[in-house]
Amino acid sequence: MFQDIVKILSNRELVGYIFRGMGSTLVVTVISALIGLLLGFTVAIVKIAAENNKWMKIPAAICNIYTTVIRGTPVALQLFILVFAVFAIPGFKPYAAIIAFGINSGAYVSENIRAGIMSVDKGQMEAGRALGMSWFQTMIKIILPQAIKNIVPAIGNEMIALLKETSIISWIGATPGTLTFDLNAAASTIYRSIPNYLASGILVGCCYLVIVYIMVYIVKYLERRLRQSDKR
Amino acid sequence: MISVKNLKKSFGKLEVLKGINCEISKGEKVAVIGPSGSGKSTFLRCLNLLETPTGGEVWFDGKLLTDADASLHAELTKDELKKYRNQHKLNIDIARKKMGMVFQHFNLFNNLTIINNITLAPIMAAKMQRKQTKKLNKLKSQFNVAKSDDKKAKLNDMSVKLYGINLSEYEIMPILSDKEIKLAAVKKASTLLERIGLADKANAYPSTLSGGQKQRIAIIRALAMDPEVLLFDEPTSALDIEMVQEVLSLIKELAEDGMTMMVVTHEMGFAKEVSTRVLFMDEGKIVADGNPEEIFNKPKDERLQTFLSKVLH
Repeated sequence: MFQDIVKILSNRELVGYIFRGMGSTLVVTVISALIGLLLGFTVAIVKIAAENNKWMKIPAAICNIYTTVIRGTPVALQLFILVFAVFAIPGFKPYAAIIAFGINSGAYVSENIRAGIMSVDKGQMEAGRALGMSWFQTMIKIILPQAIKNIVPAIGNEMIALLKETSIISWIGATPGTLTFDLNAAASTIYRSIPNYLASGILVGCCYLVIVYIMVYIVKYLERRLRQSDKR
Repeated sequence: MISVKNLKKSFGKLEVLKGINCEISKGEKVAVIGPSGSGKSTFLRCLNLLETPTGGEVWFDGKLLTDADASLHAELTKDELKKYRNQHKLNIDIARKKMGMVFQHFNLFNNLTIINNITLAPIMAAKMQRKQTKKLNKLKSQFNVAKSDDKKAKLNDMSVKLYGINLSEYEIMPILSDKEIKLAAVKKASTLLERIGLADKANAYPSTLSGGQKQRIAIIRALAMDPEVLLFDEPTSALDIEMVQEVLSLIKELAEDGMTMMVVTHEMGFAKEVSTRVLFMDEGKIVADGNPEEIFNKPKDERLQTFLSKVLH
């Protein structure tokens, strides 16, 4: 097995697959994470705003359906529906997949953000409102800066889960050179030249581990930075 | 100044306020006392709509803060109701700028330093004001160059409708920069901090202060908005005994300066000494209303007598 790993690493073409796969995985993860964050943030704000604003009740109901449906069905199913039914446009596959991951992630992120906002003492919003600031102003200036401390660790977790979830992107067909050719697809392609799945699996697994480790490190760093305002 | 008409509030099936009527005039220092669960805090919180009343009306400076009373909903047609609201209703965020509130648990903004706690709302208010000034200045300059009286009248109508200001009397005002606004707010906050002897805490975070310090800062944070009335919701109930005095003496000072205030309190000594009027609440109603002398020395109501005998001994 060790020999096979060396064989893969000394073959330029095969190493190229790994790098390209890693690139795809990263690009897909980052873009869908951004979509997820934006979507999750909006959904969380709408849901919380609906608690004392009747105009938000209908948007909030829509958001509730969104989180229920997305969290209640498998991500692979959502991927297939979006890629082969909703966005069945030639050449649009990888982007449809990214949208699918973004929509999926948004549902989880929204709950994380909502929980973070709810964890801030109710008195903070009351104090802001009592001073004549609007709900939105208080949310931006007072509540969110305090909520972010509780949100970051949960979001970090979600991002790590998302990174690994994107490995199913090759199920919709992976061609080298496109975004659907991710790390997981690289492992299968290498297997065709060197039929030892343990070798290519270990290599690709290590790549995932390294990325996750870097993400964990970033989250820990952010957490530490954010906690500093607690002391002082 | 504040006028409360048949105010009602229920939480689900629990009726907390059962029709409260009262008038508070400028300069009055009203203490609200009563057993716990009598609705004192809810009453206070309904005045600036931190709780939305389920019935009745709250008026502030001749303007309606709540929705029109249910009886009007039944009486008036939809159009009449709309007209009534247009005529009387005041945006709650504007009203709240003139009604300071001090909470039992201080509620200082944990993510901001003390100076920013005090200046945040005044700076935002000044910026909102500036937006309005800009628009008014623009209207006024259009008004000045307008040739026909027709156009002038049209511009004036717009100004009166949007801002309640008559253009012929309006003078163009200078527009302050962000920096000037901030500087003015910081200066004012520093003066207030000096007044309570906490100038050295300007750049500290709330978590490093004692309860008494936090509450005094919460009070000047409310003062920084130049409110017309201050609402105190049990300002000393969450404090250690040795810190109660420092907060009470600050409130007393403000009372002596002539600030209109309403204080929900369990400190009977304070109510007796500082207030000009005492409201005794029980089971969601104002049971007794009078000057401290009448309430504490010659209580007529039986429930008030029982309450006083419990808390004064």
